[in-house]
Amino acid sequence: MKVEFKINNTSKYLELLPNETLLQALRNNDFTEVKCGCNEGECGACTVLLDGKPVNSCQVFAMSAHEKEITTVKGIGTLYTPHLLQKTFVETGADQCGFCSPGMVLAAYSLLKENPQPSREEILAALDGNLCRCTGYVKIVDAVENTAKKLHTNNLVME
Amino acid sequence: MLNKNLEWFFPRTIEEAVKLIAEQGIILHGGGTRILKTSPKSIKGLVDVGKLNLNFIHRSDNKISIGAASTYDDVIRYSAKTKKLPLLAQALSEAASTPLRNRITIGGSVKDFPIWSSLYAPLLALRAQVEIAGEPDKIISLEEYLESGIIKTKHLIKRIIVEDDSHLIGGVKRFALIRFEYPLFTVAVALHTKHKIISESRIFITGVKGRYNHCKRAEHFLVEKELTDDVIHEAGKHFNPKFVADYKYSAEYKEHTANVFFTDLLQDLKGKLK
Repeated sequence: MKVEFKINNTSKYLELLPNETLLQALRNNDFTEVKCGCNEGECGACTVLLDGKPVNSCQVFAMSAHEKEITTVKGIGTLYTPHLLQKTFVETGADQCGFCSPGMVLAAYSLLKENPQPSREEILAALDGNLCRCTGYVKIVDAVENTAKKLHTNNLVME
Repeated sequence: MLNKNLEWFFPRTIEEAVKLIAEQGIILHGGGTRILKTSPKSIKGLVDVGKLNLNFIHRSDNKISIGAASTYDDVIRYSAKTKKLPLLAQALSEAASTPLRNRITIGGSVKDFPIWSSLYAPLLALRAQVEIAGEPDKIISLEEYLESGIIKTKHLIKRIIVEDDSHLIGGVKRFALIRFEYPLFTVAVALHTKHKIISESRIFITGVKGRYNHCKRAEHFLVEKELTDDVIHEAGKHFNPKFVADYKYSAEYKEHTANVFFTDLLQDLKGKLK
């Protein structure tokens, strides 16, 4: 069946089955920037924002999200017009294989929207649902801190 | 794997939702995390609670009502903003992860009561009540909800009610080898004191044989005492939760560990009483 969703500020009809997760529905309809990791809600690779809050899309029924605002990592910036946070991830070397990056970026984005100057502990807490097997997390946390510094130094509002 | 012909319902009234779940194979859907974990084939339909206006937290008459569709994150935020419900917020902050706390609902967790629940011990220590939809609606204590077997029946929880008691001092400890793991047990202690002397104590542990223990012996022991090192040591001897062995740990190991956690918790509370 086809169901209307609001994804990245655009109305989209997704072809899905009623027992599908949001992750399955998104990936089956070409939103492959949402990664499938553990499929158990533990790794955070499939993170999307649902009404601005990070969720594991593998732990959400697609049908329960059809009237909510869904944001994937492409909704905050693209390859050619990256968001400040995405640029800073690259500059800081916070992405290696890149598989966890969409989820990490969205978790960090949600944090910085709400708290533009988080402490390192607050960053760690906000990223507690996202696993990375490459970086050891240090550079990821650095990237979020560096973004916060840029926001502060340039008097920017997180958008 | 869930049935691919699963039917979804989005009722706008509680009465409608209650009627729908009366049918076999149709259950409530809050955050959906538990349903996805268990994926029972027998489920024919899901009744989403999203439009039932059960996502609220408000205070009146020294009680705080938490709507069943409120998420763990909603409770944590409410606590941070109002400084209310610190015991519950502490327990929920340590449960699961940020993205899961944005989905797991209070009502769903109360209805399902998984063995690893981080919610039940603090709720019991807060003397929580459950409001169940019906004709008429019924408010019962959480202990009665468990003991009477209502938890096993099909029903819709409207809200959880806890005391708004700023004099209550409490803490929670959960045993998990790594942060992101289901806890083996969760112990919660809540105390009322007057001039450092304990006037009332409430001690609960989950993850044990029979799901939870109300540790009345330790409660009685602590009343009319000051939390000194000696009292804490003695209180440990009165704290006897009953565990069952599993493939990882013996019952004795769990009992010993729970005892250490309990006395540690009392030490933490002793610091707060100063």
